[in-house]
Amino acid sequence: MLEIFEYEFMQRAFLAGMIIAVLASISGTFIVLRRYSMISETLAHSALVGVAVGLVAGYNPLWMAVIMAVISAWLIEYLRYSFALYSDAVLAIFLSGSLAIAVIIVSLGGAFNNSLFSYLFGSILAVSDEDLITIFTFGIVCLSVLLIFAKEFYFIAYDEEVAKTSGIKVRLLNFLLVSIVAIIIALSIRVVGSLLIGALMVIPTVSALQYRQGFVKTLLISLFFAIFSVASGMTLSFYMSLPSGATIVLSVLVIFIISLVANRR
Amino acid sequence: MKFSLPIFDVKNLYFIVDNQEILSNVSFEIFAQDYIAIIGPNGGGKTTLIRILLGLEKETKGEVRIFGKRIKDFKEWHKIGYVPQRASHVDASFPATTEDVVKMGRTSKRKLFSKESDEDRIRVEDAMRKMDVYHLKDKMIGTLSGGQRQRVMCARALASRPEILILDEPNTGVDVSSQQRFYELLRELNTKEKITIVFITHDIGVIADDIARLFTINQKAVICNNPKEALSCEEMSELYGIDAHLLHNHKHEH
Ligand SMILES: Nc1ncnc2c1ncn2[C@@H]1O[C@H](COP(=O)(O)OP(=O)(O)OP(=O)(O)O)[C@@H](O)[C@H]1O
Ligand SMILES: [Mg+2]
Repeated sequence: MLEIFEYEFMQRAFLAGMIIAVLASISGTFIVLRRYSMISETLAHSALVGVAVGLVAGYNPLWMAVIMAVISAWLIEYLRYSFALYSDAVLAIFLSGSLAIAVIIVSLGGAFNNSLFSYLFGSILAVSDEDLITIFTFGIVCLSVLLIFAKEFYFIAYDEEVAKTSGIKVRLLNFLLVSIVAIIIALSIRVVGSLLIGALMVIPTVSALQYRQGFVKTLLISLFFAIFSVASGMTLSFYMSLPSGATIVLSVLVIFIISLVANRR
Repeated sequence: MKFSLPIFDVKNLYFIVDNQEILSNVSFEIFAQDYIAIIGPNGGGKTTLIRILLGLEKETKGEVRIFGKRIKDFKEWHKIGYVPQRASHVDASFPATTEDVVKMGRTSKRKLFSKESDEDRIRVEDAMRKMDVYHLKDKMIGTLSGGQRQRVMCARALASRPEILILDEPNTGVDVSSQQRFYELLRELNTKEKITIVFITHDIGVIADDIARLFTINQKAVICNNPKEALSCEEMSELYGIDAHLLHNHKHEH
């Protein structure tokens, strides 16, 4: 088992994967509780626009993904608030819109290749030193914000209006949360891939919810599930030469099914 | 009492949606230690009024002051506890114990970066005991009964040590004896803890003997400073849309 760490690329991928697992599960808990799971799917597609721009124009795709995902997150929140649109409809529009734009950019730029494939489904071979530094730096910032405002996010998820009347800056914090989710999703596309990251954000929390525990325990269970599935998914990816995003999602799905069956009433 | 600053001071308040007056020229003051029931028919504007007071809805015209300040300048929201209509309808799988929910009431009092303080713990426990839910503290909120949940919501509101507690139909779907007990708890908060209480209800019969003032809201507002007389006053029956004597009699049925 330890032989996989003899490879430097695996060490990098594992480190990146662990950071992503921690970030995705904690931020995922808040968005799942807010019934806003679909935003992860949408922002992942917006991040793809950034990847496309990066691949075609020669900028760092990871950075471009972060920028595009954050812009998209802000636009979505702005539209939801200012025009009182249905959230799920806005998300659907942005999802297909982003994908369309990404495909057009990639087609025009002639960048349909293996490297694009790795951004869609994740790859343990793909994490460079530079990526790792980017993931680590943004990761620390995101984790700090999540932990500092955890109680506020939790209160807002439970009851937005009462949170507001008790003096919590709900709108500002909502913007903050989606921005962070956008960054985390963009960071994850290296390891998990943009088509699969939604699963890593949502499923650990949904599995943890099956155990019907309080807030802190649910958060910890979800964290454990995410770390476990990233670790086992990456190992599987290494030995079977499969895209890491797919093996990670498969692992987390197994956990979900076990959680569901074990807690069946 | 009238010389002190009112907690809420509402003057000539209008709330108009699509040219329809939901609230029309409503004026009143709420002072410290008041104990007020708000009644009125469905759709009369009770919830809307409270939401305006809490800054959740913006008035069309008129002036609302909280502790002497305009809503947008008001910062001390911890002084106000709010239990919304249907607050007890929670998602059964939400990962929260009773204690988790009551702790939320301390969130805005917390300083950034600081961990839970002794004061937080004391206030949370105290609020749970006052609302008689301490024995449920480790139970999941989704597994509690409607009446228990309602008391948990009140405990959360109490945890920030509010000066005023605003409750929107706290007792819908709660059996009569639990209701009675709940109102006794409210009354105690009012007399012993000096907390101002404002609540919306449809069953004045249960509490008519206790309340200090009665607001009847049906687009317009009638403020009765002597509720026992109010129950038979003409003006009120007009607003309620039925004969107020019925309300009066209703009271004795319980
Ligand atoms: N933002 C809004 N937009 C449109 N209509 C509104 C808005 N807010 C309130 N109303 C309308 O105002 C009326 C009063 O509603 P409100 O919820 O205040 O009644 P209520 O007295 O609390 O009734 P109930 O006893 O059923 O709770 C309703 O007809 C409602 O549709
Ligand atoms: Mg109402």
